[in-house]
Amino acid sequence: MAALTNIISKNLTVKPVQALLLFLLLVILLIIPMISGMTTITLFSRIFILAIFGMSYDILRGFTGIINLGHALFFGGATYIAGILFNRVGPTLDVLLLAIITAFVLSAIIAYIMGQFAFRGTGFSGVIACAMITLAFGEIVRHTAETLRDYTQGADGLTFRIPEMFQDRFMMYYYALIFLIVMTIVLRQFVRSPTGRVLQAIRDNEQRARFLGYDTKKYKLIALVVAGMASASAGIMFALLTRFANTELLTVQSTLNALLYTIVGGTGTLYGAIIGTGFVQIAQNSLLELRGIHEIFSRWLIFFGAIYVLVVLYMPKGIIGAFYQLHASWQKRKKHG
Amino acid sequence: MHIFAMLFINGLAEGALIFLMAAGLSIILGLLGVVNFTHGTLFIWGGYVSIWVFGLSGNFFIALLAAIAAGILMGLIFERLFVRPVYGNVTAQILITLGLMTIFTDMVRLLWGPNPIPANRPDFIDGTWIWGSVIISQYRIFLIVIGVLVAIGINFLINRTRVGMIMRAGTQSPDMVQAMGINIKVYFSGVFAGGAALAALGGALYVPLVGSVWSGMGINNQILAFIVVILGGMGSFYGSAVGSIIIGLTVAMVSWFYPPLTVYSTVILLILVLSLKPEGLFGTAVRR
Repeated sequence: MAALTNIISKNLTVKPVQALLLFLLLVILLIIPMISGMTTITLFSRIFILAIFGMSYDILRGFTGIINLGHALFFGGATYIAGILFNRVGPTLDVLLLAIITAFVLSAIIAYIMGQFAFRGTGFSGVIACAMITLAFGEIVRHTAETLRDYTQGADGLTFRIPEMFQDRFMMYYYALIFLIVMTIVLRQFVRSPTGRVLQAIRDNEQRARFLGYDTKKYKLIALVVAGMASASAGIMFALLTRFANTELLTVQSTLNALLYTIVGGTGTLYGAIIGTGFVQIAQNSLLELRGIHEIFSRWLIFFGAIYVLVVLYMPKGIIGAFYQLHASWQKRKKHG
Repeated sequence: MHIFAMLFINGLAEGALIFLMAAGLSIILGLLGVVNFTHGTLFIWGGYVSIWVFGLSGNFFIALLAAIAAGILMGLIFERLFVRPVYGNVTAQILITLGLMTIFTDMVRLLWGPNPIPANRPDFIDGTWIWGSVIISQYRIFLIVIGVLVAIGINFLINRTRVGMIMRAGTQSPDMVQAMGINIKVYFSGVFAGGAALAALGGALYVPLVGSVWSGMGINNQILAFIVVILGGMGSFYGSAVGSIIIGLTVAMVSWFYPPLTVYSTVILLILVLSLKPEGLFGTAVRR
């Protein structure tokens, strides 16, 4: 046990205490599906997958300081690619592989093109132009999905069959969990890499990073391509979980979901996205259960917006930030007796 | 030839509508340094409020005034409660206005239902004029007239009045204006509310043109307005006027000759302009 935590902490540079806690969390997550009903299992699988979508946004917003309002196009686009290929070619594992490759290649290309236009400016007007141009890109993809009715069934949504391996909800939970763990490690290594450090330098002060000789536009492009591919991978998993794609996945609202996950949890932390996704999804589910009491509880978007505005105004560092703040003040008090 | 005359009128009318949104967006951006994502939402609210009041009163102009009043009210509330705490923090501004967009767009669905509501043009401008083979709808001419009046009005306000002078000075250096003993915050609120009122008026005028009002119309027009603002140069009032006409004509032409390309044409145009002139047509790069 101690040896195991040691290995984990060495390779992933986490403290032994943290490794132990992570291990406990993993055990709990492994047991959950055995003791709970199908609703909880699906809810958790959803959280695991959407958390990657959230984390991919954190790479942009939290680590590079980019606001991409078309980010959903990578996620929803990958779901559509998987769905269309499963429908047209057949629900087999080979097709899944094909879908993954297609989604990765396409999202990398689109991210590159999008970045070429969105990252033209720097500073204040750069941020604004980036938000506006990415919004336009996202809406174009949504519009295209709505008009290509032959492939996407338009606004009705696309249902499809999936490979047999993924049909069992119980096993899907574990696949989603493994996916989350793998992607978390991958993205964590990315943000801790030299490239990731440069991204954080850009976030903190783009001008300074440029004066230090970094081609900031190139690094922003790298961030967008990585985030786009990560979110495409989440989109494929989401297709396997829901077996359904509709244009809702491509709307600004879908991008805002990812944004909300990261800001609720805490931006620039990566794990914040996981906590945020859990919080938002569970809040959404509990509110929907209150629907019987009053009709207002079925208007999730109003609550969504309210949480959003309140978090931005009063808790800009999110749950993790609040936790660190509490921790810091507690430590201070302990020190001063 | 007559087709081009017709498309020209249609394009100008479209441009006038976009201009109502883009002008407010651009002035808010120029003076406050705020990018307002609630603009599309104010547009929807303008549309719904005007339909509602038109149903109650039967008078088109009262309906327009009600939409403007709703825009001013919402603009004041948004600015005071939500935008003021995050002045100077672009990211937080974008996030917070997006949150407001979500809340108030869904509020519309809560109050008026999720389905489109049909709307008629007021009788007195519902007709058409026919010159030879050119058919011109009176409502489009009405839109162009309103657009031109608003453009002249704003131009007068900015360049010929004391209020406009303070606004221009505030764009350059808000702290200095404050130090001169002028409460610039009041002007900030006023500009935000004014921009909101223009967006709401745009929504109210848009609804009779397309014949129905629905909650999705905000985002489409907001994106057009954003494209105009970037195309014309951020924060430039002339840029937004010229950009609106260009985008309006493009939309009219493309949607006539090859409708599937309409949505893409504006973005392609934007990309072309940005590759040739990154700061936009009349851009002077907004500071702050």
